[in-house]
Amino acid sequence: MMEQKYYRWMLAPALLLLTAFIYVPVIRGGVMAFQNYNLFDMNDLRFIGFQNFVSVITDKNINFFQILWNTAVWLFGSLFFQFVLGFGLALLLRKPFLGRGIYTAFVFYGWALSGFAIGLTWSWLFNGQFGLVNDLLMRVGILNSPIGFLSNPNLAMISVIIPNIWYGVPFFGIMLLAALQSVPNELYEAATLDGAGSIRKFVSVTVPYVKPTIVSSILLRTMWIVNFPDIIYAMTNGGPVNKTNILATQMINKVFKEYDYGQGSAFGLIIMVLLFAYAVIYLRLTEKDGGENL
Amino acid sequence: MKKLRPFSFGRFILLALYLLGAILPLYWIMVTSLKGPKEIYTMPLRYIPSPITFASYAKLFSFSSFSLYFRNSLVISLVSSLFAMMISVLSGFALSRIKRRKMKGVLQLALYFTQTIPTFILMVPLFTIFSKLGFVDSKAALMVVYVSTVIAFCTIMSKGFFDRIPVSLEEAARIDGCSMFQSLFRVVLPITRPGMAAIFCFAFINIWNELFLAVMLLMSDKNMTVPVALNSFISKAGISWDVMSAGIVIALLPTMIVFGFGQKYIVAGLTEGSVKG
Repeated sequence: MMEQKYYRWMLAPALLLLTAFIYVPVIRGGVMAFQNYNLFDMNDLRFIGFQNFVSVITDKNINFFQILWNTAVWLFGSLFFQFVLGFGLALLLRKPFLGRGIYTAFVFYGWALSGFAIGLTWSWLFNGQFGLVNDLLMRVGILNSPIGFLSNPNLAMISVIIPNIWYGVPFFGIMLLAALQSVPNELYEAATLDGAGSIRKFVSVTVPYVKPTIVSSILLRTMWIVNFPDIIYAMTNGGPVNKTNILATQMINKVFKEYDYGQGSAFGLIIMVLLFAYAVIYLRLTEKDGGENL
Repeated sequence: MKKLRPFSFGRFILLALYLLGAILPLYWIMVTSLKGPKEIYTMPLRYIPSPITFASYAKLFSFSSFSLYFRNSLVISLVSSLFAMMISVLSGFALSRIKRRKMKGVLQLALYFTQTIPTFILMVPLFTIFSKLGFVDSKAALMVVYVSTVIAFCTIMSKGFFDRIPVSLEEAARIDGCSMFQSLFRVVLPITRPGMAAIFCFAFINIWNELFLAVMLLMSDKNMTVPVALNSFISKAGISWDVMSAGIVIALLPTMIVFGFGQKYIVAGLTEGSVKG
């Protein structure tokens, strides 16, 4: 059993780093949510119970429930289309064709790009005067004069969700393509012998087989979308009039603009608790249907 | 005998649309960066720049210390990903070979749990910890943090690669008189080279793209990374899109190149890491 001792030493560096720079800070952040912790007011550092949460929820300037609603719209709007388009892409790529390797490289590379830079790129595409989207819509004749997608309260949320869909399709494409390719061919052959058509095959063979991947990748993506302020931060930073403000961007603003680390941490804790509750309910609901435990 | 079926027309159209959608935004930012400032702000827009000019890039590098920011980003990303790769080779190997079931389960759960923690939740506590330790505005501190943020997933990936290599291989080497480390480094590692490459690419991409921790932990101009620099361009009243587009292209290129080279392995590693959970 000499090895077991070696293994402990081999795990030590990784575990040490995770403890010191992930786990301890997370706990520290949880504690800060209950403290009066403002960079402008560092002499008055003390525990204040749930005061930060009360201030955050009753803040007249931001309307907490609007932020919650925005977060839900941002999440489900992005998730639905990321999944549907990603699944579609994976299905298109399942059977080999000439040049598939290069093609997949081009449709998947969005995964590797910086969310912040992608946000900036799209804010240029949606630019209210010289943006490509305005130009295209005017050429086609849908618009007569350019409109400010990002400054219009009714269009802003859609305009930040579209880049997020663009950004997330490759993830689902990668995950689901791998799952589709692992479906044994015999299953399809058997279904064909039974006289199943292609829609029937999709519903009764493909979907059940890739279901565990669907369940786990949707959960991973949900957490990721809620925790992903980069695109909104780059495009609207929550504006106009809070229309695109989600929990994550509000937390960033609390920290970067107001230096209120206590309230910022309160937002962080709220996000984590909500996501945890979501994960528990989600896994409970999908468990019976053969969903894979994460 | 399977035959390669020709494209159906519908499938071809759909594939073309996906490709167009994937490329258009990137094409547009590239084209913008190659236009002159006048051409950028003239409607109707020109879809192919004429003449092509690198004036935006010249301006970007002269009006800010962008070459310094680029070097910072490159050094920080390369060094941290290298460390992340080395550390996760050890931890992934140990996790894959460890025999005690319970311990293995607990360790894996601890690794997966970190995947639910958004990095920006860490920025405030990390800032207070480092300022107490006197490591404010330190690139070294940021690198340590970056290694920590990617190490969990790197370990999961690396374990997946080692799982596929039969233990009998090491046992044979051990019988031939190799120590455990010798069998790891001389026998096992050479086979998993593609896996190591995937881990490195994954770490590099994530670290190169990180913004919020860098904004929080770095202060002085001389330490800025590329995303932090782009962020500071926004705050300077009104973005001038010639310089901005050049900066964005430079921010996007390195990870595009890394993904281009490592795509096959990254995809294998990603699916290994999260599907098999």
